[in-house]
Amino acid sequence: MGLLRFRTRLPRRTEVILGLAGLFAFLVAWHLTAVSGLIKPQFLPTPWAVVEAFGRLFTERNFAADIAISIGRVWAAFALSVIVAVPLGLMMSSYRAVGATLEPFVDFVRYLPVPALVPLLIIWFGVGEASKIAVLWMGTFFQLLLLVQDDTKRVPAEFVESGFTLGASQWQIMRDIIVPASLPNIVDNLRITLGWCWTYLIIAEIVAASSGVGHVIWSLRRFVKTPEVMAGIVAIGIVGLLTDQAFRYAHRRWFRYQDRS
Amino acid sequence: MSFLSIRDVPKTYRSDGAVTEVLTPLSLDIARGEIVTFLGPSGCGKTTLMRMVGGLESIEAGQITLDGAVLGPPDRRRGMVFQSYAAFPWLTVRGNIAFGLRYRTDLTAEEKAEITDRYLAMVGLAGFAEAYTNRISGGMRQRVAIARTLAADPDVLLMDEPFGALDALTREHLQGQLLQINASEQKTTIFVTHDVEEAILLAHRVVIFSARPARILSVVDVAERLGGDRGHDLLRASEFQALRREIQDIIRAEYDRARQAEEAHAV
Repeated sequence: MGLLRFRTRLPRRTEVILGLAGLFAFLVAWHLTAVSGLIKPQFLPTPWAVVEAFGRLFTERNFAADIAISIGRVWAAFALSVIVAVPLGLMMSSYRAVGATLEPFVDFVRYLPVPALVPLLIIWFGVGEASKIAVLWMGTFFQLLLLVQDDTKRVPAEFVESGFTLGASQWQIMRDIIVPASLPNIVDNLRITLGWCWTYLIIAEIVAASSGVGHVIWSLRRFVKTPEVMAGIVAIGIVGLLTDQAFRYAHRRWFRYQDRS
Repeated sequence: MSFLSIRDVPKTYRSDGAVTEVLTPLSLDIARGEIVTFLGPSGCGKTTLMRMVGGLESIEAGQITLDGAVLGPPDRRRGMVFQSYAAFPWLTVRGNIAFGLRYRTDLTAEEKAEITDRYLAMVGLAGFAEAYTNRISGGMRQRVAIARTLAADPDVLLMDEPFGALDALTREHLQGQLLQINASEQKTTIFVTHDVEEAILLAHRVVIFSARPARILSVVDVAERLGGDRGHDLLRASEFQALRREIQDIIRAEYDRARQAEEAHAV
């Protein structure tokens, strides 16, 4: 068996089998713990009870609409972050004056925990959609800004200097060299930032919402419907996993030139 | 009036109050179509001088003129090939070579395609036109960079140890290819290297630099001594060997002097 050879590669099929086996082992351990009677069912239902609850969420509560609302909020806030952070990050790395002006402020805001901002944002924007999007935006924009600045700063000086000596203007170098050179890293960071959006979304929906996945989980908690609460968490995981895989797939498609094989 | 003229140009770096003199004010004239190699120890300032010609380092005093006009920020007139592979990974070989042409409004699309094809063929990469640059070897990437720079039709070609990162066999192949390109293109060229053989092989004149702060120790007129025909066969010629020893002696004497000065400074 070459499975445990130090730092070796494995066939794709073997990796998939190992991944599924790990997941299966986790479910078996969970099931055995749940049916052993050591923990009360209202604290730890069986995996199957969670699956059943998952079905009930959709048939009895119109959970699909809540998921759609949550996804809409995440993407609206994410899009607003990206639209501002990408050009601004580019400017910060290209022009030292812009970077020096904004960095201290951005660093300050970046260290503020987003939950601490929620009360303020509710005072400002009420309990409607605006406050939720504001929470997500505050949580992602400043992080993304610095990530984009970093990605664009890492474009090799030779690329930029080649551009100048090939006759490109500053603006053309930004458009034709900095952007394409840093885009693979930026897209990767967008994927990671989108994951954070979900964290902040659930916080926002628990605190002030009458719809969305976070609201559903929080309101079911009051009736100790543990299987449904867990099913809600699983739903977030599934949406996150699908989004992540979509991003990875797009990354491979768009940046095929990075393939080495 | 020389084509490219460097007049009393010094260079100093300042950081945290410390001033480092990189170049003592120096002057050099280069004729149109001439190939000059800058030879000197690593870090001596020869690359800095070339980058000043390219507009990539500021000129504090003196001036550098091209065809009588004072040079400033970088532009298409001074093309640069770097030591590290600066081919753009998001473009194919063809896309890289055509890159500079996208900013030319004086050429039609057909002319641009024709120029691109010509330089693809010149560096022997026609068969790899549609390949991305991470699929080709380091030597091929450097050929892409050379073709890309030539396709932009600069007045002066600046090459910063372009073969420094290549293995010996690939380097020899590319030197031969560059000699052929030089013969057909007749570009005014500054080529920076710390390899004595390479400096002699490629040059009309070899400019030998001292250790930092750089002075010009000597200018050796290779074309006069070896004639115009170049190629690796020349390496075996006795006149080539004599020239090589001569230059090595100059460098060795300078190296000893610099080390003694350093040790005296350290005591």
